[in-house]
Amino acid sequence: MAKGGAKDRGAKNRINDHPAFVLHQYAYRETSRLLDVFTRDYGRQTIYARGVQRPGSQVRSVLLSFQPLLLSWFGAGEVKTLHAANWQPGLPQLSGLPLLCAFYINELLQNLLIKDEPHPDLFVAYFDAIKALALCSADAREVEPILRLFEKALLLELGLGLDWQSEADGLSAINPMQRYQFVAQHGFVPSEAIDACSGHLILQFAGNDMRDEALWPWAKAWMRQSLALLLGDRVLHTRQLLLDLQRI
Amino acid sequence: MSTPRSLNNLIEALRVLPGVGPKSATRMAFHLVQRDQDGAGRLAQSLVEALGTLKHCRHCNTFTEADVCDICSDEQRNHALLCVVEMPTDLMSIEHTRSFEGLYFVLMGRLSPLDGIGPKDIALNQLLQRASDGNVEEVVLATNFTTEGEATAHYLAEMLRARGLKVSRIARGLPVGGELEHVDPGTLAQALIERRGL
Repeated sequence: MAKGGAKDRGAKNRINDHPAFVLHQYAYRETSRLLDVFTRDYGRQTIYARGVQRPGSQVRSVLLSFQPLLLSWFGAGEVKTLHAANWQPGLPQLSGLPLLCAFYINELLQNLLIKDEPHPDLFVAYFDAIKALALCSADAREVEPILRLFEKALLLELGLGLDWQSEADGLSAINPMQRYQFVAQHGFVPSEAIDACSGHLILQFAGNDMRDEALWPWAKAWMRQSLALLLGDRVLHTRQLLLDLQRI
Repeated sequence: MSTPRSLNNLIEALRVLPGVGPKSATRMAFHLVQRDQDGAGRLAQSLVEALGTLKHCRHCNTFTEADVCDICSDEQRNHALLCVVEMPTDLMSIEHTRSFEGLYFVLMGRLSPLDGIGPKDIALNQLLQRASDGNVEEVVLATNFTTEGEATAHYLAEMLRARGLKVSRIARGLPVGGELEHVDPGTLAQALIERRGL
């Protein structure tokens, strides 16, 4: 009886073939790894992958970051145990600058997402961002809009999203002819300052339209200021790496 | 009964080895002092000797007892080709193939932004100096095909290209003798993406 009961509990805590991405992995003991994964319906999870470090392991080549996977795991505690991992076709492996940008996205998620909290909409935004990065050409400028739109989706998911169509007071709509100053967490305040941003560009960002490159530096500054509120004094190593790369 | 201090120290010392926890360390310590004292003596002596004599090769950064390692001082090798690897074990793997005639540079690590390992934590400056010695014409990047190895390769490529060096990356795809039917789908997909003209 006791054995059957344990089995039932195990079955309840078992998840099969669930869409997920590996955010990062850490060597654990001699032949295993601990995976930090972002799953569609269960948010961030820590999964113990036993024996994947062994030379003949079939699973090791599957557990790649930035590749869509179907993971099966079980366990009720904080750390789950990997049962199976299946690679899903569709995305070329990332390399070059898009790869470093994808690391940046993963670092944001590792820093800002609490474990066990489901974020299915953000999972879709993540999938879209990784897909767009995988399809980037060698032109470095292509990564900018992808990163900004993901950051915007992340802020929305974490409750720091703004109504990009209204002024900070929430009463008046953004006027494309007016200039505005950005105040993080608050919104856009009309401003006569010469360095204020035109409402026209803000409305483009509201509609996720990143075609106008004049918008990019503004969007970057808005996202940077908003994320800084969430990150506090945490340093993003990938941001530093991207800056180092620019200085080469 | 309390464990004697020296035995405790030995157990603690053995725990520095990767994958060795308290239980394994205790088992190893008892084996050494109880069953194989000669072996224990050789181990102790080799450790002291290795720590006392091993240093990094001035040219390639791998471990050596001399200032410059055997490979770097071999005049027969192609000094215009420099292969960059992550670890000395990678160098040994390539040497084992006997298919590379050039010289090496060992980074002693890789960039891993999510672990906070940045350009200052691996031997990048030393590589720059080494690659700009005037003899090197092509740098072959043989970092691993993990995401971290790829990130490292990209960073190195940008850095070396900015200094006018020719940079190449080792190829990836199906294993030698590999049959499509048995290869994992991820490798096969990437092999199609990275197909080459004939």
